[in-house]
Amino acid sequence: MTDAAPALIVAMLAVPLATALLVTLVPSPRAADRLNLTTSVLTAALALVLAVTALAGAPGVAAEGSWYVLDAASGVFLALISVVGLASAAVSPLYLRHAGRGWFTARRSHTWYYAGFNLFWAVLLALPLADNLALAWLLVEATTAASALLVAFSGKRSALEAGWKYVVLTTLGLAVALLGILVLYVAAGSAGSGLGRLDWHALAQQGERLPGQATLVAFVLILVGLASKIGWAPVHNWLPDAHSEAPPPVSAMLSAALLPTVLLIAWRTELALEPALGLGTVQELFIGFGLASLLVAIPFLWRPLPWKRLLAYSSLEHMGVLALGIGFATPLAIAGVVVHLAGHGLAKALGFYTAIPLLRQDPSTAERAPRDIARSSAPTAAAMSVSLVSLAGLPPSPLFVSEVMILLGGMDAGLIAVSSIAAVLLALGFLGLAHALLEGLLGTVRGQRPRRSHSARAIGALAVAVALALIALTVTAYALPGSDVVTALTGSGA
Amino acid sequence: MGDPAIAVLVGLGFGVMLVRRRSVATLLVAVQAMLLGVAALSLAGDRPAGFLVAAVILLTRALALPALLAFTRRRTPEPYLVTPATTVLVRLLVAAVVVLVAVASIPPLGLGDVAAEQGAVALLSLGIAIVVMRRPAILQVLGIVVAENGIYLLAISVPGGLPFVIELGALFDLVLVVTVAAAFTRKIHAEVGTGDTDLLRGLRD
Repeated sequence: MTDAAPALIVAMLAVPLATALLVTLVPSPRAADRLNLTTSVLTAALALVLAVTALAGAPGVAAEGSWYVLDAASGVFLALISVVGLASAAVSPLYLRHAGRGWFTARRSHTWYYAGFNLFWAVLLALPLADNLALAWLLVEATTAASALLVAFSGKRSALEAGWKYVVLTTLGLAVALLGILVLYVAAGSAGSGLGRLDWHALAQQGERLPGQATLVAFVLILVGLASKIGWAPVHNWLPDAHSEAPPPVSAMLSAALLPTVLLIAWRTELALEPALGLGTVQELFIGFGLASLLVAIPFLWRPLPWKRLLAYSSLEHMGVLALGIGFATPLAIAGVVVHLAGHGLAKALGFYTAIPLLRQDPSTAERAPRDIARSSAPTAAAMSVSLVSLAGLPPSPLFVSEVMILLGGMDAGLIAVSSIAAVLLALGFLGLAHALLEGLLGTVRGQRPRRSHSARAIGALAVAVALALIALTVTAYALPGSDVVTALTGSGA
Repeated sequence: MGDPAIAVLVGLGFGVMLVRRRSVATLLVAVQAMLLGVAALSLAGDRPAGFLVAAVILLTRALALPALLAFTRRRTPEPYLVTPATTVLVRLLVAAVVVLVAVASIPPLGLGDVAAEQGAVALLSLGIAIVVMRRPAILQVLGIVVAENGIYLLAISVPGGLPFVIELGALFDLVLVVTVAAAFTRKIHAEVGTGDTDLLRGLRD
């Protein structure tokens, strides 16, 4: 299978790119739905085959080429992006059925939605494979252009505001990161010529030969720049707006796939430059962003926010948890990071999909916190419960296991004060989400009776599947510490 | 690039912060890109491939992107000039402080060309300041381009130059982002009746 990896990679990227073109030729919205679903299954299957190949090759590298590397990290992220992408493609017709006229005319909205969706998905799938910092930056920047119009797809004034903020703020942040990359390129002058100077392994091999001050400046600029795209506080301003205004399947892609995948680039940069900078400096930066994100997110989890906005602030919280895990850098914490990535991806994607029937049943929940959902729609209530119970970290959620692993990993690293503060903040976050869930399910509401939504049953069925997957992930989590995958992620080139 | 030329580049960036007319600001950024492009061409000199890449970048940055923004401006007519949030003096003062603090706080970047390093940091911080302080959407896009021009100044100052993949890839991404931003500008104008982004302040917690 390793020999076939180059062809599989080309096919995996070609299918969504071709779909983006082909979908402009199909005659009807329903045909666009069918084409997108068919090709999405193919794309996800190819990505999953590559993910399995990569994970089977851990702790080594399964395959590498002129621009790509198929290692454990790319395996984990390809699996995540393919599952979330396929699920988003599957639920998109439920959203589009009632989306009506937005940025585009109702007749052409399916076409442009699927074209943008597939371009975005293709770039996302290429990102974890990138074997080079500069190439990774180009792809991260391309995700902005590919997804910005999707964020503003509804064409509402609030969606335009969210999309505009997303484009402007992340582009400026990535300009800062590019400045850091240029500084690093000059600093790594003795590592050969051309683009290969910025390959992950070339940077790591330079080790202490990299000039300390210039490398530190470069790393800080790169991390701060990428932080604006990951959505770490205090450069997270676009995140709540974009996630709450984008179509729910796109919000799921942004939160469950885009943010963690950009975080992977920061993680790979950290691992590549750690030999030059030492663990202490890079640890402090990740932990700083992690704690800041938790501190900013938690108060919002206590407020009665509209459903998607609540999930957006939950994304901020969970990106903070991942930053802490990477900063702690012990094998246990890294095992926790892997579980957290997968658990957050599944639970958050389901949460955003739940917004489809929720907003259909009661459009006013776009502006206020949902109430009394248990009475109005049992499937929607079930999906809300699975999502929020998991995101809150209530056992048997895999996020409970991952957060315990990360906190214990922090203590293992001797960072007891940081771990303790993070534990308190996570407990507060748990209480906030639990309160939001109870209010959403059982809180009383005055006014008209909600409409029925046919999409509720589909989302309810999806909730059952996600619940089973989350339980399976919890069971798997106990086998992860000490595994080859974690060994690869801790040392030999995530 | 020589110190006077870098000073002119930064001065043009300040101009974008100060002027009220979108057409004048677009022209200033086009001149900035033209200066950078000519410098890149002269540095490429005897390398045909480098010369070709520099020429493509010059044409795109100094002609195509300003033309796109000029076209967008024509399609989004403003009945009145958007009232700035602050006076010219305040904008000048804030921009000067931002630039000075940024230049003073960034240590040497290792290029061996202090003027280019400081010019790049100045333009990057100026671009960010323009986005924060200017209200018209097109001026905010121009702020992004000013910031990217700062990065390009650094790129052409790298000894031996950058790999073409990075230069052309960054150019491609810039074109994509500016095109998307131009589409947003037209849509915002159609929805709000003006390109004043200050009217897009509905999302608050």
